[in-house]
Amino acid sequence: MIQVKNLTKEFGRIDNGGGVLALSDIDFEVRDNEFVTVIGPSGCGKTTLLRIIAGLIPYQHGEVSIDSHPVVGPGPERAVVFQNFALLPWTDVLGNVTFGLDVRGATKSDSQAKAKELIKLVGLEGFEQRLPKELSGGMQQRVGLARALAVNPRILLMDEPFGALDEQTRRLLQEQLLQLWERERKTVVFITHSMEEAVMLGDRVMLMTPRPGKVKEMIDVPLKRPRPPDIEKSSAFVEIKEYLWENLRAMQTHQS
Amino acid sequence: MKTLARDWGLRLAVLATAVALWEYFLSRSQNFLLPTFAHIATGLFHLIFLEPRFWEALYISNQALIFGYAAAVMIGVPLGLMAARLPWMDRLLNPYFAVLLVMPVAPLIPIVIIALGLGLAARVFIVVSFALVFITINTRAGVRSIEPTLIEMAKSFGATESQIWRRIIVPGALPAIFVGLRIGLGRAITGMVMVELILVASGLGRLLLEFSGRMQSDMVFATVLAVIIEALALLSVMQILERKIAPWAPDISIG
Repeated sequence: MIQVKNLTKEFGRIDNGGGVLALSDIDFEVRDNEFVTVIGPSGCGKTTLLRIIAGLIPYQHGEVSIDSHPVVGPGPERAVVFQNFALLPWTDVLGNVTFGLDVRGATKSDSQAKAKELIKLVGLEGFEQRLPKELSGGMQQRVGLARALAVNPRILLMDEPFGALDEQTRRLLQEQLLQLWERERKTVVFITHSMEEAVMLGDRVMLMTPRPGKVKEMIDVPLKRPRPPDIEKSSAFVEIKEYLWENLRAMQTHQS
Repeated sequence: MKTLARDWGLRLAVLATAVALWEYFLSRSQNFLLPTFAHIATGLFHLIFLEPRFWEALYISNQALIFGYAAAVMIGVPLGLMAARLPWMDRLLNPYFAVLLVMPVAPLIPIVIIALGLGLAARVFIVVSFALVFITINTRAGVRSIEPTLIEMAKSFGATESQIWRRIIVPGALPAIFVGLRIGLGRAITGMVMVELILVASGLGRLLLEFSGRMQSDMVFATVLAVIIEALALLSVMQILERKIAPWAPDISIG
């Protein structure tokens, strides 16, 4: 379980002036095997929040813990999928997928076997020897996903993973991610700026407001799983999406 | 490889045009000291096959080049890596990099010789000072060009600082490091010849001074050509190395 209590994050120092309050009094929990999507306008600190949970940046006040252990850095139970894929351009698909395993000290044969298994799982069999630049964006993010899953994390932290992809690729990857998730039921925190995506994937949607980033509301998504692609036509889906849009639009008019 | 053939066709055409122009203006000029292309080519042949002193001079000059260049690489690359990764180091060194970049090294050669004498040490030092800063700043730029999310990604998997260096920073900076090595090599060769010309009469510089003293302009050109040939050979070796070590680097080949 991920617990975040009274989390406040400043960039620079506020008391000296010139600092920025990125997150203020964030409070929420993500239960085991739960899929939580986080949505909010740009500047609401959602990516900062994810990086804090990942242990990549420090925070000043409050508490972030995983199964009651405070987060002080990255840990083996967590893996991150990045928006810009973050693939190593100098090594092939296999080399990228084995990266996390290699860093964590797996033997070469173990990590290769595990990586091949995951490459197959994300549908990239036959592309093991290709360099990232030879792949489409969707394929690159599948490599990113395989790399994260290869270390067998209990918690998957996804930072707008499909944000850089075109609409069609994004839809396909959402469907595949759902299928994967049904099988493994990992705990997922998924940042997005797409309302459809937030409702389609999440058990709950966390709605954030900007400047400073705060949690406005945790919204339950009572759609039953497994979710078929045409679920977006259901009235429950449309209703939640409309509700999100009302809130997000209100925040935008405040801004501009 | 059709384009390669076409490229070489064009290059040879440029060379032929340049040679033709050279010969044409020479034939109209009254200056008998300028050698014809044929003379230079003969001179080069003479130099390489019939002049034992050429090989001796080449050997002497290359001592300074090899030691100096090796030292410049061994100091320059780690210095660039550290400057890019350690902010305090960068703040410390930045003004000195700027000074070294703009400083004309040649006028300082006499001072170096006063300090280090007329031997190999002075020549090595000059070669290092010609090459070092270009290797360092390219290495630094290479590290800087690495996408920060790659380092973040490595950290998210729990990579240690040494793993980040080995798996992200060094491979990420390699293409730019090779650019620095190539520019540095060119500078090192300039330094090698210059120090011999200015004060330390040894090696190829001494040969060049002798030829020009005797007004053997064809031999002067031939010697310069020989230096160019050596430089190109070294650059090709480096290019082959680069393709082996960093095959993902964008192709910015010379030759």
